[in-house]
Amino acid sequence: MTAVAIEGAAALQALLRDNAAAARRPVRLCGHGTRARLLSPAPADALHVSLRQLHAIERLEPDDLTCTVQPGVPCAELAQALAAHRLELGGVDAGDPGTVGGLYAADPLGPPVPGGACPRSTLLGVDAVLAEGLAFRAGARVVKSVAGFDVHRLLVGSRGRLFAATRLHLKLRPAPPTRAAFATPPLDLDEAVERCLALRWLPVPPRRLLLRGTGAGAAIHGCFAGRPAPVRAALRAHDLHEAPAVADGHLAAPAPGRELVVGRVRAIRLLELLRDLPAPAPFVAHAGGHFEVELAPPDADALLQRLPALGARAAVALGARVGLGGDDDQAPAVRQRLLQALDPLGLLR
Amino acid sequence: MASVVERIAGLLPADRAITAPDALLAYECDGFTVHKQRPLCVLLPLDTGEVQAIVRALDRERVPFVARGAGTCLSGGPTPVEPAVVIELARMNRILAVDPVDLAATVQPGVVNIDLTTAVRHLGLHYAPDPSSQSVCTIGGNVAENSGGPHCFKYGMTVDHVLGALVVLPDGELARLGSAAGPRPPGGLDLLGLFCGSEGTFGIATEITVRLSRDQAAVRTLLASFADMTAACRTVSAIVAAGMVPAALEILDQATIRAVEASVYRAGYPADAAAVLLVELDGPDEVLAEEAAEVRAAFAQHGALRVEEATSPQDRQRLWKGRKGAFGAMGRLNTDLYVLDGVVPRTRLVEALDTITAIGRRHGVVLTNVFHAGDGNLHPNISYDGRDADATARVVAAGHEILQLCVDLGGSISGEHGIGSEKLAHMPLMFGPDDLEVMARVRRAFDPGGRCNPGKVLPSRGACAESQKWPAMVARVLDAEERR
Repeated sequence: MTAVAIEGAAALQALLRDNAAAARRPVRLCGHGTRARLLSPAPADALHVSLRQLHAIERLEPDDLTCTVQPGVPCAELAQALAAHRLELGGVDAGDPGTVGGLYAADPLGPPVPGGACPRSTLLGVDAVLAEGLAFRAGARVVKSVAGFDVHRLLVGSRGRLFAATRLHLKLRPAPPTRAAFATPPLDLDEAVERCLALRWLPVPPRRLLLRGTGAGAAIHGCFAGRPAPVRAALRAHDLHEAPAVADGHLAAPAPGRELVVGRVRAIRLLELLRDLPAPAPFVAHAGGHFEVELAPPDADALLQRLPALGARAAVALGARVGLGGDDDQAPAVRQRLLQALDPLGLLR
Repeated sequence: MASVVERIAGLLPADRAITAPDALLAYECDGFTVHKQRPLCVLLPLDTGEVQAIVRALDRERVPFVARGAGTCLSGGPTPVEPAVVIELARMNRILAVDPVDLAATVQPGVVNIDLTTAVRHLGLHYAPDPSSQSVCTIGGNVAENSGGPHCFKYGMTVDHVLGALVVLPDGELARLGSAAGPRPPGGLDLLGLFCGSEGTFGIATEITVRLSRDQAAVRTLLASFADMTAACRTVSAIVAAGMVPAALEILDQATIRAVEASVYRAGYPADAAAVLLVELDGPDEVLAEEAAEVRAAFAQHGALRVEEATSPQDRQRLWKGRKGAFGAMGRLNTDLYVLDGVVPRTRLVEALDTITAIGRRHGVVLTNVFHAGDGNLHPNISYDGRDADATARVVAAGHEILQLCVDLGGSISGEHGIGSEKLAHMPLMFGPDDLEVMARVRRAFDPGGRCNPGKVLPSRGACAESQKWPAMVARVLDAEERR
């Protein structure tokens, strides 16, 4: 597969307009390809369009706590640029190998803790191009705006199905003076979930909080951030010990013949979800609701069947049956009309 | 044979269907009093089923409708711009569920904002979005407008606290957007994020699940007065540059201070100050001690005239009383008040305020400023006599220039009040035809028939001038300005 590397928003607009007017090939947007595993395979005749050359940090206003970047900026590069100003973009991991555009289009994690910063809460506006080549703007570059419909919000988690963002306006926050990653030893599930809920309930919860283990037991991993004294006090109060930070909060690709089920569950239903997993099944479950479980297909089917009773939603994200269970059942008619309105030819795949 | 209005009104018992012209007067405008339109009738449903039945009937009859909460909107959002039925949701005011472990609550749209916090206070919880009108405005209205408030600098807007909504779509179908598990389903689109702030044009939320927040261990509220506005604004920048994210950073100018101090909202602000800055910090005690010291240092560095700190919850209420009552206090200055709402990058606040003062002088209008300094959200208030056509025209012209200024400085024409009917004519300042076309497509996806709060948010070239009196007035004034 060879991707057409786009070097500017105008070039992207022209390419998409020409494609829509003539060849009408399906279009697959891509960056560094680090999140391609989350997508269903592109059609064989798809035109792969790489946005990785759109990699400028166009504007960084430390005193306004905002920046404007092109989608191909690597997350790590942005994190480094922000760190120089003692700033951070909530939800962006300095070790993320992908691009900012890919992170927002995939939103692979949601909030790490309830109310925690994530792509949904930090995207202020976009410049974008529809599949037909129509360029538009939505949102604003200031930290607060309710002018017009928030079309930019549709970028988050859209996986390139609605439009291509060529510029993202982002909301920053001061970087905390101290971070302290922690981990517990493996605990039985009941204790792990109970302690996790207690940490989640703190007035200033950890910035990151997750359970990682198997159906037999789990360890709690997290990270407090803030001023040194309260961070140390929080660790002491909850009998937690500093440990190396967990890499990215996701499970690795599943072993052959197995599947990765990814979904969201309310914290109070987490124990019910985890208790019924087969003992050896590896999982990671974030306090913000995101969970991933590696299962054999029959166990994946059983889990997917149980989810509605738990008020949870999930889909097979990796494996032989990608997408299974992932029907977006909210307002299907509206969703269909929305796809039709923004991409009438159905080119973005 | 019964008329359309009679058939529609007949959907509910007589005591929940208002058709008498004098009773309808109360519904002919919201907080934006320049634009008025009496509805065909007002229906007061009690639950989702009744809303759905009403909307289905209106869809069949092809009658436009407008949902309304407490009517506190400041941009004409719930005021019809053409003959329409108003669906008043204030009686759908039940808190349906509170889950203190999951930190979530499900409410009907007519629940008053502060009532939710009051209901969960004993659990050590609160609902974070706190618009100034929180004692009367409803959560349904907050969702429609994506309301902010003084504390959204740290805690975000309404959209950041809504997890899910049951929505009656404009054709009467039901849709669940988001869920208690999260606002966006895995692999799905953020329809809930799009719905929040759509100003009642995408449907009617009849059940709303919101995220509750834990009360912080401690709160410290400080007030500093300054001899000039520039120093107050620079103090805000210094506080943020020091790495702090206070819960609130609010500034009132001298004219506002004097109006407040002469009103029932008197808070003991120093009347001789050119500006007061209200800073609220929340968090663990040990953090607040350090932060309060840093804030005091910033006050001193920028020449604060006087600093006081709330010494009790009652004292904190006193300090906030003046800020929250500021708009009410303006009622003393003249018969009408035009509350503007624009945003500039925080670093451009001083420049923006200087220019706004000059604009006010040039147009001969009485202008006061009270604003969310942390996020650059300005609220220039123009007091005027709405019976005076010349004065009203000058208010319109000044308002337009101020919003143009906000856009020129890289900001927005609305930070939290919405577009409604008030700012239809201002939308092109910020968005081009292609931007508006994309928004119109999105709107049609939700409301192909165009009957859900028509004439709002997006300017329509074909709209009848009479039904869009305020934008038409703006257009006339702008034409006159251009000819000059």
